[in-house]
Amino acid sequence: MRLWKSWIVTRKDLSMFRKNRYILYSIIAMPIFIGVVLPVIFILALGTQSTQLSHAQLVAGAQQIVNMGTIYFVLIPSVLPSIIASYSFVGEKIEKSLEPLLATPTTDGELLLGKSLAAFIPCMAVTYFGSAIFAIIMDSWSYANLGVFLLPNPYWALVMGVISPLACVMSVEANVIISSRVNDIRAAQQLGGLVVLPLIFLVIFASASAAASNYLAFGVSIALTIVDILLFYTSKATFQREEILTKWK
Amino acid sequence: MIETENLTRKFGNLTAVDSLTLHVDEGEVFGFLGPNGAGKTTTVRMLCCLISKTSGTARIGDHTVDSEQDCLAIRKMVGLLPENVGLYDSLSAYRNLEFYGRLYEVPEQKRRENIEHMLKLLDIWERRDDAVGTFSKGTKQKIAISRALIHDPQLLFLDEPTANLDPEAAKTVRDFILELKKERRTIFLNTHNLDEAERLCDRIGILKTKLIAVDSPRNLERSLYNRTTIVHMEKITDAVLTAVKNLNSVKNIRVSENKLILDMDDPEKQNPELVRTIVEAQGDIQYVTELKSTLEDVYLKLIREAPSTK
Repeated sequence: MRLWKSWIVTRKDLSMFRKNRYILYSIIAMPIFIGVVLPVIFILALGTQSTQLSHAQLVAGAQQIVNMGTIYFVLIPSVLPSIIASYSFVGEKIEKSLEPLLATPTTDGELLLGKSLAAFIPCMAVTYFGSAIFAIIMDSWSYANLGVFLLPNPYWALVMGVISPLACVMSVEANVIISSRVNDIRAAQQLGGLVVLPLIFLVIFASASAAASNYLAFGVSIALTIVDILLFYTSKATFQREEILTKWK
Repeated sequence: MIETENLTRKFGNLTAVDSLTLHVDEGEVFGFLGPNGAGKTTTVRMLCCLISKTSGTARIGDHTVDSEQDCLAIRKMVGLLPENVGLYDSLSAYRNLEFYGRLYEVPEQKRRENIEHMLKLLDIWERRDDAVGTFSKGTKQKIAISRALIHDPQLLFLDEPTANLDPEAAKTVRDFILELKKERRTIFLNTHNLDEAERLCDRIGILKTKLIAVDSPRNLERSLYNRTTIVHMEKITDAVLTAVKNLNSVKNIRVSENKLILDMDDPEKQNPELVRTIVEAQGDIQYVTELKSTLEDVYLKLIREAPSTK
């Protein structure tokens, strides 16, 4: 596997996404909205409690709320790949550009990795961007009102560093499999959204449970890794030159 | 450059290509003719290692179409122009070519030179930064050909390069192929356009799942039809007819108005004797022509007579 080959494909796709306003606005809107609106709601909610609770209770409550908000940053990388990955794979089908691409001296794995990275990178970038906005607003409030920084904390680090990327990989792989079966970008997005929905619920439930204990969080990460590996082999079996040319109509 | 032996590809119960045995020499322009669904594109895809073969062997240069390692080497040495141009509409002409140049591992300096050379040759250099989506079909086809040549391949597969192009754009593309022919590149040309095949190709293969015939366009024409000389005369007399009938070289004689229509084996050698005989029999010759069968006649005859093998 030559990573530089995959990177060429990734760069080309990223450059195409930059020129597509629909994709650009779609992927930027959600994390910014969550990153800004969510802390505002939390701050308002915490503000109403501040006169009734002790400082320690307020800090613990704020910490819980912040952890709850962190779960939304698992939702973002689970949903966004259905927008990008559908363009990445179905877009090649529509432009009929798969055949010349497959005729180049690149392996199936290199192409798959390149395409997957092109979906993964912007999704994770905007997730981190949204999460940074969330953290800055929450910390600004907490430092001013409680004298502590709520973020980063170990749970936030685990979600952003492990669970969120794993959820994104899972969604990208699911979308690769869907792209191999449909010809229309809208259908790919709708199906992508539909198929990842149970996975999203699973991830959110698992992430929420993981907030309770480090062992559970570790278990969630392992489970997600196993799902990712299974989906990876399925998407790899789907993304084969011969399959693409003879069955991706 | 290309060698296949009993190359076969089946899709379930359907045989797309059946026992194809073929060789294409280095520097040759080989035309592959056949109706829709004859297996031309499947053959090209097998030879470019895009799809696997069911049985048989195929070699491109020193590599067999088999292992992943050989296939990577083959893809590196061949250029492919598929039936659909498949360019990225939102990227510029330059970026499209640059992307493929990188994938074909062309060093940066060489890549820049090749792109500039191609785009200037095809008169697109001034518009190199325009999005491909803004170009006409003919211009897109030119860019797609440039893409196939970006890594200077020894072997070029062109699948219907002039299909859906207006006559002027088709001519530009044909002229470009002739330029490539002068550079002694090996070209494998899939086409429906018989006139194009006749003008561009050194040899032609006619495929209808099985390979029906392979030869130069001229030999194909001659192998199926008698060569016919037509002698236009002022008047055909009995003396002329008798004299001509006595010639051993003439296989068959027909008379139509003031024309003598004669089937002959080797008109270049036998026509002078024929003319002398007619003149000696007091016949007045206006002019002598050859009735030529076209590649279209040959193609239609072979395709109609070929058994359906699917």
